[in-house]
Amino acid sequence: MAPLITVQRLTKDYHLTDRREGVLGGMVDLVRPQKRMLRAVDDVSFTIDPGEMVGYIGANGAGKSTTIKMLTGILTPTSGEVRVGGLVPYRQRQSYTRHIGVVFGQRTQLWWDLAVVESFRLLQRIYEVPEARYREQMTFFNELLGIDEFLHQPVRKLSLGQRMRCDLAAALLHEPRVLFLDEPTIGLDVVAKENVRGFLRQAREQLGVTVILTTHDLTDIEQLCRRIIIIDHGKVMYNGLLEDLRRGPGHKLRLCLDLAEPVAPAELQAACAHLPVEWAETEGADRTPVLRHCALFSRSETNAATILAAVLAAHRLRDMALTEPAIEDVVRRIYREGLVPAPEALG
Amino acid sequence: MQLAEYRTSRWQDLRRQTGIVLAYFAQFLKMRLAYRVDFLVDLGANLFAIGVQLATLGVLFSKVPALKGWSFESVLFIYGFSLLPLGLFNLISINLYRFAERYIAEGNLDRVLLRPVNPLAQVLCESFNMSGLNELLLGTGVMIYAANQLELAVGPLDILVLLVLVPSAAVIYASVFLMVTAVSFWHEDRMGLAPPIYNVIRFARYPLTIYGKGVQIFLMFVLPFAWVAYMPATWFVGDAEQTRWALLTPLVAVLFGGLAMMVWRAGLRRYESTGN
Repeated sequence: MAPLITVQRLTKDYHLTDRREGVLGGMVDLVRPQKRMLRAVDDVSFTIDPGEMVGYIGANGAGKSTTIKMLTGILTPTSGEVRVGGLVPYRQRQSYTRHIGVVFGQRTQLWWDLAVVESFRLLQRIYEVPEARYREQMTFFNELLGIDEFLHQPVRKLSLGQRMRCDLAAALLHEPRVLFLDEPTIGLDVVAKENVRGFLRQAREQLGVTVILTTHDLTDIEQLCRRIIIIDHGKVMYNGLLEDLRRGPGHKLRLCLDLAEPVAPAELQAACAHLPVEWAETEGADRTPVLRHCALFSRSETNAATILAAVLAAHRLRDMALTEPAIEDVVRRIYREGLVPAPEALG
Repeated sequence: MQLAEYRTSRWQDLRRQTGIVLAYFAQFLKMRLAYRVDFLVDLGANLFAIGVQLATLGVLFSKVPALKGWSFESVLFIYGFSLLPLGLFNLISINLYRFAERYIAEGNLDRVLLRPVNPLAQVLCESFNMSGLNELLLGTGVMIYAANQLELAVGPLDILVLLVLVPSAAVIYASVFLMVTAVSFWHEDRMGLAPPIYNVIRFARYPLTIYGKGVQIFLMFVLPFAWVAYMPATWFVGDAEQTRWALLTPLVAVLFGGLAMMVWRAGLRRYESTGN
């Protein structure tokens, strides 16, 4: 399948002016400003296929927003190129913007003082949505987002959750091919977040829209995206399946065992001595018998069944729990160490 | 997958965008009418301000019978005329004054750039200042009164000329303030220029001939406020030569409008390359 979005060697430099300290410094600034170059996006390349939902993650200042601004046509790159369905966003902006929808979690795309329905009517006009299609879309949005109940309220009177529902509907009214979501769940409570995620899943299935999602809430990514792109200091650190990232050799699963009788850690560890397993520190010394023991292992080296078999040969087990590495930890590790995972265990 | 490039004729595009602008306006009017009290307060404040200005003129002319050959009624007519383009301009100018803050600092320009509608049209039409309507109304009233006093013979041609000159003069106002606004693409220092420039408009309501040569040239070619009231109004109250000059108003509007658009576009390009 030909990709819908192609980003090639995309780079964006900002020129910043630093201010000197003090009054005298301010005068010097007037005559000779201190200029400094900041490379916000550095040689970024990736492609996105039609219908994909891709998570674009990075810390604050990593270059996420700058990339999104270039992808949406607001910013012109310093070098490199973006193509979306054959269009170059920043060169053919007015054509291009008809094909995309954008939601910024931080601020609304709707008109603050207008009733929600009036905002939708204006958007209908702007994007020339035929009346019949408009009604179909509104019915669809109402089924999934329940927007009818505040359709006649001005946007400024809506709660954050209601506003986000309206923003999502507004971004999809004209059936864009690509939807850009910048922090769509920011500031929402758990239930509202869940609603937004549910809607995004439905929208992707039913409207076939391609979604690029940036977020700080990695739960969004876990629940919505198969593929993620991690960016740090303007560079792509990882581009691939979330699953692969998690199953990578450095990312350890945690198997916690609750034994029927207290057992000294040293004793249990001896039972598994032949296995590539590390034991998380248990409270108390090695010799003090305890009930709970946690093993850390890598999927590529062994598996939970083998460890269990070794433990069960010598001890009675009451309960157990297997935990995947938290996506936060995986991402944090990538920020810290790059893509080559260090061998030490996750705490 | 290919995305269609929308290729419409300029005319079709203009029609679509005009339709959108009118829809914005209708929305806004509806919203403002919901706040009837605001509307009445606005009207009252406007009446008061304009009343004060008229009283000043009255006091002035009670001391001197004429200003450099201009009678009270003629000056009154010019004053009335000046309110019409000012009203049109005030109707759409409100977002120009708060552009630096609302659109650049708060990032609303990003939203504007994400819509397939001319960015300037969006900025101008996202808010309307209804007091512009009051000025239109009051200006018309003052003009009709002065024209009656002067016993001007107003024919269909005059009405036609008025309908061309008033929007032209409004374009000149808009051009000046658009250029001032566009400065905020380069400098964070917000709109410090606008208030003093706005004050210059007052000078432009008097006949230009009462000023020295330097001021005349300044008001005609640098800060072209001579063309927003006095020059076009002379079509009605000036002598034969001045009348001919009045007809240059649309040309001045096109020139300054073009210049302002160039500055605005350069500013937008800068925004697209530097971001916020």
